[in-house]
Amino acid sequence: MAILVIAEHDNRTLKGATLNTLGAAALLGGEVHLLVAGRSCGAVAAQAAAIPGVSKVLVADAAVYEHQLAENLARLVAALGKTYSHLLAPAGSAGKNLMPRVAALLDVAQLSDIVGVVSPNTFRRPIYAGNAIATVQSLDPVVVATVRASAFDPLPAEGGSAVVESLSAVHDAGTSRFVGEELAKSDRPELGSARIVVSGGRGLGSGENFALLETLADKLGAAVGASRAAVDAGFVANDMQVGQTGKIVAPELYIAVGISGAIQHLAGMKDSKVIVAINKDAEAPIFQIADYGLVADLFEAVPELEKAL
Amino acid sequence: MSDYVHPYRDTEFVLGELVELERFCAEAGLNDVNGELVSAILAEAGRLGSEVLAPLNAVGDTQGARLGERGVEETPGFAGAYGQFVESGWPSLTAAEAWGGQNLPNVVGTAVNEIWHSANMAFALCPMLTQGAIEALAHHGSAELQAAWLPKLVSGEWTGTMNLTEPDAGSDLAAIKARAVPNGDHYLISGQKIFITWGDHQMTDNVVHLVLARLPDAPAGVKGISLFVVPKFLLDAQGRPGARNDAQCVSLEHKLGIHGSPTCVMSFGEKEGAVGYLVGEPHKGLACMFTMMNHARQSVGLQGLSISERAYQQARQYARERLQGTRKDGSRFPIIEFPDVRRMLLQMKASIEAMRALALVAAAEVDRTAHAPDPAACARHQGRVDLLTPIVKGWLTELAQEVTSLGVQIHGGMGFIEETGAARHYRDARILTIYEGTTGIQALDLVGRKTLLNKGELLGDLLDEIGETVARLESAGPFAAQARALGEALAAGREARRLLLEGAEADAALAGSVSVNFLMLFGYLCGGWLMARSALRAQALLETGGDRAFLEAKLVTARFYCEQLLPRTQALLAAIRAGSGSIMALSDEQF
Amino acid sequence: MKILVTVKRVIDYNVKVRVKADQSDVDLANVKMAMNPFCEIAVEAAVRLKEAGIATEIVAVSVGPSACQEQIRTALALGADRGIQIDTAELPESLVVAKLLAAVVAAEQPDLVILGKQSIDADNNQTGQMLAALLDWPQATFASALALQEGCLEVTREIDGGLQTLSLALPAIVTTDLRLNEPRYASLPNIMKAKKKPLEVRTPAELGVVLKAHTRLLKVEAPAERQGGIKVGSVSELVEKLKSEAKVI
Repeated sequence: MAILVIAEHDNRTLKGATLNTLGAAALLGGEVHLLVAGRSCGAVAAQAAAIPGVSKVLVADAAVYEHQLAENLARLVAALGKTYSHLLAPAGSAGKNLMPRVAALLDVAQLSDIVGVVSPNTFRRPIYAGNAIATVQSLDPVVVATVRASAFDPLPAEGGSAVVESLSAVHDAGTSRFVGEELAKSDRPELGSARIVVSGGRGLGSGENFALLETLADKLGAAVGASRAAVDAGFVANDMQVGQTGKIVAPELYIAVGISGAIQHLAGMKDSKVIVAINKDAEAPIFQIADYGLVADLFEAVPELEKAL
Repeated sequence: MSDYVHPYRDTEFVLGELVELERFCAEAGLNDVNGELVSAILAEAGRLGSEVLAPLNAVGDTQGARLGERGVEETPGFAGAYGQFVESGWPSLTAAEAWGGQNLPNVVGTAVNEIWHSANMAFALCPMLTQGAIEALAHHGSAELQAAWLPKLVSGEWTGTMNLTEPDAGSDLAAIKARAVPNGDHYLISGQKIFITWGDHQMTDNVVHLVLARLPDAPAGVKGISLFVVPKFLLDAQGRPGARNDAQCVSLEHKLGIHGSPTCVMSFGEKEGAVGYLVGEPHKGLACMFTMMNHARQSVGLQGLSISERAYQQARQYARERLQGTRKDGSRFPIIEFPDVRRMLLQMKASIEAMRALALVAAAEVDRTAHAPDPAACARHQGRVDLLTPIVKGWLTELAQEVTSLGVQIHGGMGFIEETGAARHYRDARILTIYEGTTGIQALDLVGRKTLLNKGELLGDLLDEIGETVARLESAGPFAAQARALGEALAAGREARRLLLEGAEADAALAGSVSVNFLMLFGYLCGGWLMARSALRAQALLETGGDRAFLEAKLVTARFYCEQLLPRTQALLAAIRAGSGSIMALSDEQF
Repeated sequence: MKILVTVKRVIDYNVKVRVKADQSDVDLANVKMAMNPFCEIAVEAAVRLKEAGIATEIVAVSVGPSACQEQIRTALALGADRGIQIDTAELPESLVVAKLLAAVVAAEQPDLVILGKQSIDADNNQTGQMLAALLDWPQATFASALALQEGCLEVTREIDGGLQTLSLALPAIVTTDLRLNEPRYASLPNIMKAKKKPLEVRTPAELGVVLKAHTRLLKVEAPAERQGGIKVGSVSELVEKLKSEAKVI
């Protein structure tokens, strides 16, 4: 039994979610390999090779893989996939985009967003916005899955020395082309993997007011997230949305500011270790799951909190 | 999440099991209308109601309308919602195809209207009043008037108002003073009208006022009133709104509730006179109003149902969440577990389900009249419409006072605080027993025109039909107690009818003295009748599968109605039996 | 340009789902059902392309028992021209759904297939990608903007960290994300007209697809209940608790 994990990276750095996915892979037993496909991604390959628990790093470094186009990458992974029992990727936008395509090419099912390993062919995953957990058994010869990073402990990043193997196969479907991208530039930790998240809702009232949360986040070394309401109102960018159809996060500390606590938002953060809610509406549903609730005007409480830290 | 969700399951039950809509449509040759279509319509209306109209309810209450320089400025957000409402074609649901309508049955329109009024009663009053204007023109307007005004009223592109009341003429319409003077091919109207709902706003290009006024040679009293179309903007040669007419809103009332509905004092003819066009024959204005009266009155009854349902949904949610009980082990529980709170909730629920059944059954009678296969059937159904209409208007609106009050009570102290919204429903409901004919007026109509005038024949037919249901209950096994309860209420109804018919001639004050108690008795009786029929149908459906949770709840609710609401008929009978004696005994000064 | 749009019948997103006592599945008996919100966005995207004069025909497809015709009718009321129900007794797995759709695509030859990115019941987020693989078409998932350029489709996608724009050759697969558009409400006249639009029923056998199970559902459980916490009276009390009790700062 051998497991291939598809690394999530940006050609320069390996993303933390890959370490959590490797953590899931480690639970399966068997050899764990890591695929780094990209362009000029040597640095990522080196980081990958340093992970203890990874016995081999496969590197596919070619122009066609630069932007992780699914049409190209899926052919590569499917070709490799025949020799593995498990193909895993983090359940980020890259993994979600890629793995179902891989599965279909291999004529097998794909398991999305697994949160638990019961046995090498049986997994647990959330359904209905996390209001139910399904235990699913794969009947296929290869298990293709995406892994919810926040549900698994990461492997350490240092201490290993894996074999690095270059792959020469270049798959170019030629049907899609990268045009451009707009990435949020931030010194803050990534929302999906931050230890602390400060999140704002419609109660903030405007995009400018999110500066209050940013100051707090800076003090805490936290990432900043938002509810769907805040995103829809145009206060912040889409990629800050935490929720059933946004990002799922499970930080050690989640501070929900001016967020009422709709079910769809809770689905994105209810696995956080500690939840704090600050809201002036004492009846807001978020208080039902908050470990510590403060009924207060956020415009007073948040600056006060920032000063007190 | 919105705080109003259309109770589609109960509506579909009533339409399917009591109204038997599909069978009616098939028999009436309405081949396009079936359960699937109605479900799709209700689902989409429910979404618009929940997602667009309901969220504007609170702002309609706190901000309401104000009178500005260009006229009435309605609640912010209402114009956008109205635009969506019109764009989606909802105003035209029951209108004739000739005017661009969908020609759907009245009962379907009623089921959909329940949603608008539950979601936002202040807003929904606008299309409701427009409906009145449409009916007046459709029934009595000349071809020319109809062509000029109906299409855009039907589509909702223009709205309409009904201008009857004056400072000195409310219940007593004969006292109106507004005048109409002939002027070439039109008339010039002058006078002041009050309590004009949605008299002005900025949501549409035109507002079409229907105004009652007297012609110079008019006979005195009710036989001298004529009906006129008086638009806010006169139409140019292309039929588009052009010159401003001499019709203004001069002030807005500060009301107890429905703040989102601008209640205007309309002044016609402050300058040269407002241009108006005669609708129908001179001096036949009140007859025109009477044609639409049944629909208008049933609509207000429906508002009673709608506001009650809204209050109930809120109270139910509060009762499920509000933790105010502590068990011995220290854990807390919500107030819905207290027997008295359950009683209040169940009373709201039972009232509402009976109201819904009566509103839809009465609305369906209008369709049965329109599609009757022969004159005898037509007369029978029309008679049923005439009889049920005052009961629907009077009883549903009176019950709504109690239901919305219970809604506040269940909220405890928070119910008295405006923010939760329970108080708003209570306030909004208060107008319902007053406008479109007070409860007293409905009651006089019931005992007078609808009972005494036909020697109780209409009522007798209804009572016999209720008797048939009692018989079915008796033979149905598990319904012995309900059969007894309905049978006793039926006996009270028969007795009340007898007392009225036998005593009215000798005692001129009897009819008026007993009228409201009489109306309420028949309201409870009709509600009980329909809940009993619902129980019989629910039992039958349970035996062949069906939605257990819903059907079992229906059985319990029907039982509660029999046990806790039907007995009120006995108290009402006792009051009726006492006659007019004590009521008329004091002199005016002794009060 | 012909567009195929898929719609799924799922639990209404307002309904709080309950797990059955025997843990065999979620309890859907008599629960309110509706069109998957992402499918609504897909239908809206197709209709806007038709209104812009780019698309000439929209075909709405759903897989499932006959009840899903309700959702096809809704799509027709929103502006689709024709509907196809692929009749199955239960809901097949995504790969099977993708194979059924691939067969319909082969018959219908659309230029574009638009799907919702995920359905709010299974939350799988797979069908569009799998369909693309089976057809060997390019895919753009989590679309937040669409623009037709010269014979190709430019799609902006929501990805971790921001937005990415791809250019796809047609025919192509797009899956919709929340911000692609705000779906309209069906108008009453269109609800009435939808009844008369064609809706055909096909079977997997006719389409040459075997309903194979690749997974087995062993159990469905309610998630661990999160206990409610306490309300603190002040910011200083909060900081104190976070430091000494929760030990997270």
